[in-house]
Amino acid sequence: MFGSNPRAQSSTATRRLMKEYRDITADPLQDSITAGPISEDNMLEWEALIQGPEGTPYEGGIFSAKLIFPPDYPLNPFKMIFEPPLLHPNIYPNGEVCISILHAPGDDPLRYESASERWSPVQGVRSVLLSVLSMLAEPNIESGANVECCKLYRDNKQEFERQVREQVKSLLGITENTE
Amino acid sequence: MSSDGEDYYYEDDYDEGSMDQDSPVSEGMSEPDIVYDVMSPTADEPAPKKPYDVSYKVRTLQEIINMQSKEVRKIQTLLEMPASTATILLRHYQWNSEKLQEQFWNDPAAALLSAGLSPPVSPSTRTGPLPPSPSLLISPRRPTRSSHNPALSPVKRSRAPQPSGPFECPVCCMEFAKEDVVKETFALGCRHRFCRGCWAEYLTGKIRSEGESSRIQCMESGCERIVREEIIDELVPAGVSKRYHNLLNMAFVADAPNLRWCPHPDCEYIIECTQAPPRMLNQLVPTVECNCGRQLCFGCGYLSSHRPVLCKIVRLWERKCADDSETANWLQANTKECSKCQSTIEKNGGCNHMTCKKCKYEFCWVCMGPWSEHGTSWYQCNRFDEKSGVNARDAQAKSRASLERYLHYFNRWANHEHSAKLDAEFYKNTEKKMEQMQNSGNLSWIEVQFAKQAVETVIKARITLKWSYCMAFYLKRNNMTELFEDNQRDLERAVENLGFALEQNIEPDSIAQLRQDITNQTAYVQKRHEILMDDTLKGYLERRWDFSVDI
Repeated sequence: MFGSNPRAQSSTATRRLMKEYRDITADPLQDSITAGPISEDNMLEWEALIQGPEGTPYEGGIFSAKLIFPPDYPLNPFKMIFEPPLLHPNIYPNGEVCISILHAPGDDPLRYESASERWSPVQGVRSVLLSVLSMLAEPNIESGANVECCKLYRDNKQEFERQVREQVKSLLGITENTE
Repeated sequence: MSSDGEDYYYEDDYDEGSMDQDSPVSEGMSEPDIVYDVMSPTADEPAPKKPYDVSYKVRTLQEIINMQSKEVRKIQTLLEMPASTATILLRHYQWNSEKLQEQFWNDPAAALLSAGLSPPVSPSTRTGPLPPSPSLLISPRRPTRSSHNPALSPVKRSRAPQPSGPFECPVCCMEFAKEDVVKETFALGCRHRFCRGCWAEYLTGKIRSEGESSRIQCMESGCERIVREEIIDELVPAGVSKRYHNLLNMAFVADAPNLRWCPHPDCEYIIECTQAPPRMLNQLVPTVECNCGRQLCFGCGYLSSHRPVLCKIVRLWERKCADDSETANWLQANTKECSKCQSTIEKNGGCNHMTCKKCKYEFCWVCMGPWSEHGTSWYQCNRFDEKSGVNARDAQAKSRASLERYLHYFNRWANHEHSAKLDAEFYKNTEKKMEQMQNSGNLSWIEVQFAKQAVETVIKARITLKWSYCMAFYLKRNNMTELFEDNQRDLERAVENLGFALEQNIEPDSIAQLRQDITNQTAYVQKRHEILMDDTLKGYLERRWDFSVDI
């Protein structure tokens, strides 16, 4: 239960995250996602590895992201930051993921979403990561985070896909002779 | 005569004791009128209602709350449902009870579902002897035998069948033993169960940081079940619940087209007016006076009277005044561009032979052509009729005229506002002087009140004049507009004369003469003020005014 003091709050967060960690380990998400705390001492920082969905330019890549949980988790959503940043219309140039499910119910920076699509305490790491997976497959350029990338995606999809593949390759350490 | 007045005065005073919150303002104003009885100005008395006035009532928060419960009781008896259900339905239909009834009789299940209430039929939720509200709701004609059962709290009543075994809250992952589940956890009719602590935290967040009230939904994502009022009261701390109820009342007033909060700071009254719905605002200016003594426009919430101008025109005008486009307009009217380097140049004197400071281009300000073509006719341009010059000048003339027109009206508009402030300040100084006279001389308090009344009249008239310039800006030129401007001019002249008289030095010897003069002029200004107001506002009803914009 939540108390008013921060310590009780963060113990709630820790307890809840422990449970989510257990669940994810016991039942991995479609084999394409793994996630867990970076160190068992600090449950508020996780690392997630996501496999690029098949049939998308991200296919073949494995992307790592940091999940930063607030002390009042799960009342407020966590942050998800791809390290290194990933080229995608819904990912800010600093790597932070911008999807509706990760927005606290009160704040909607882009005024696009209805309240039901946003964060609620019953959401969790699993549901968010699944949303991120489908976001990779289907970017939403209506409410883009990376405007340049949105433009590229809309006007020249081939070039966008080429750049993504390029990034995937360089992430995997495959260097190609590009003139 | 005077004893009559005195009698009346005492009576008035006596009455005031019994209903003193009623009208402290009119009491203060009518008092000197009666004692003086000089051309008694009728404007401040509860004059007979004019066709363009609206009737309204000033409500307190408590009255608003009572209005809501009355509405709820009506629906409750009509549709035979618990009060909390009726409340949620009413809120969903924004307190439009006709629409609610229509939709409900049409399809009760759909009406309830769209409002976020339990779907009517689900036999599994029936809990023993108590007919749960859903079953009542699909058969509204059945008499409500046990809809009031004081023994059960609402939270318990709506509880779904208990889960067997221990329960883990899906939000905070606390475990609850089987016997604690009832006490420590809670689920709405949708049976999404969470612990009470998480509920409290969730609801507090919704109320405190998001300011939500009437549409707080179940915590489960995607579940649209509305959390009932009494459940929220039970689950959150008292302070939060108080704020929740404030928010509900605010939403009620905001939703009701016939209610409006007094927009003045620190005022908690609510104005109720049924005669000024939005569609009437093209012929009515519903100025009302709140119990806090200040005026407002019921139509648009403007903080003071903007009579005689329609709300929509006021909005247009304010936007125009705030808009930067006038700066561009000014540039266009007062400057020209160097025909070579396009620098903007304002000519502030000298002859027509211009030399651009920037590119050293020499040209003629009149025809904008190169100066070299002017030959030997220095300082004058005889190429005025050449085509290229004519076109450019036409465009410029038009732009300049429209700017001048706007500035004409704007300056007068702003000037009257400014003057009204100055008058009020000036009066403060005069007042001191009057007090001195009252103390030193043999003048009574009542005898020095004429100036106060005069200043009040001037200020009121100036505000009306101010708005009349906004109105004139948007009026098309025709005979009616000329009549309007005649009235405007007469009032303006009367106001300026009175203003001038007020600025005279007040000396004890000449005060009788001055008082007579000012009192007369005050009455005249009031008369002219009334004529302008009356004619303009009636003009809307008679559709006499022709605006250059669409109203």
